[in-house]
Amino acid sequence: MSNDSLISYLTALADDEFILGHRDSEWTGYAPILEEDIAFSNIAQDEIGHALALYELAQSLGGKHPDAMGFERPWKEFACSRFVTYPKGDFAYTVVRQYLYDAAEQVRMKAHAASAFVPLRNLSEKILAEEAYHLMHSKGLVERLGNATEESHRRMQAAVDTAFPQALGLFEPVQGTEKLVEAGVARPESELMHAWLEAVVPTLESSGLQSPVRIKGSTYELSCKPGYGGRVGNHTEHLEQIVADLQHVYKMAPGGNW
Amino acid sequence: MSDTQWETYEVFHQSRRGKPHEHVGSVHAPDPQMALQMARDQFARRLECVSLWVVRSKDITQTDYQDPNFFARSFDKSYRDPKAFDAPEKE
Repeated sequence: MSNDSLISYLTALADDEFILGHRDSEWTGYAPILEEDIAFSNIAQDEIGHALALYELAQSLGGKHPDAMGFERPWKEFACSRFVTYPKGDFAYTVVRQYLYDAAEQVRMKAHAASAFVPLRNLSEKILAEEAYHLMHSKGLVERLGNATEESHRRMQAAVDTAFPQALGLFEPVQGTEKLVEAGVARPESELMHAWLEAVVPTLESSGLQSPVRIKGSTYELSCKPGYGGRVGNHTEHLEQIVADLQHVYKMAPGGNW
Repeated sequence: MSDTQWETYEVFHQSRRGKPHEHVGSVHAPDPQMALQMARDQFARRLECVSLWVVRSKDITQTDYQDPNFFARSFDKSYRDPKAFDAPEKE
């Protein structure tokens, strides 16, 4: 196993955290409830903190400095899933996206608990401790809004219809992952996706929300197309926009100190 | 003006086991469990905290500021004041 495949894997995960953190921060000052404004600002900081830790771990293996990764890299070189790049939408879309993401992160970080790469095992444990509360928050909102009123149900179902196929893109394999699986560092994406489906589908269902998948024992049937592309740099204009946005200040004085 | 937010919960914060829970403010929430999460985000991120209580604001019965006689001390009752000894801070 070369360091390159591990750097690529860590970078893809860090990019997911970095971009979703920025999307979450777009609610600061605008969320429909004051407390949710604070909660999403808090989550945004946490996700960007996770991104920093993952970039640093990649740097320790020969990767670039986190500032270079986040603020100097051209948008086409990001390896985040397309899922995290889409505009924040209405609050229902944000809640559903955050829930699907938090559940996926929990599955992945738990799987890392048995990783042969000890620093990844340790970092995942730390991330998991924080992520448990993100999940409690987003799952709590899904369960309440899914069934609350006719309008909340309609908007939450529309959000699931849009976000669910996109979320499957979190499990698009990163190039070289098979080598990491062989070395016992990571688990196959198909296995993570299955564990994720088993977690989110029943929760959505008990919240009155239909998902485009049917679980049949140890297999499942998808009736939608996963939103792949991001892991291989095949992005949409949404990533271009948000990267331009978040790199704007840094590029006014590259390498400057604050 | 009507409040379009969720109902409010009063938040009580404990910095150490054995210390009293102190009122630190309030949060809007749809139910007690979410109120605890909101309170955590707002009052336990920076302050050291080992426990939080939340209570529906409307479940608190309070005295009326318009009725000062409720607390009136018209006669000298200074003999009731605990001033002859010091109560140490509980550890």
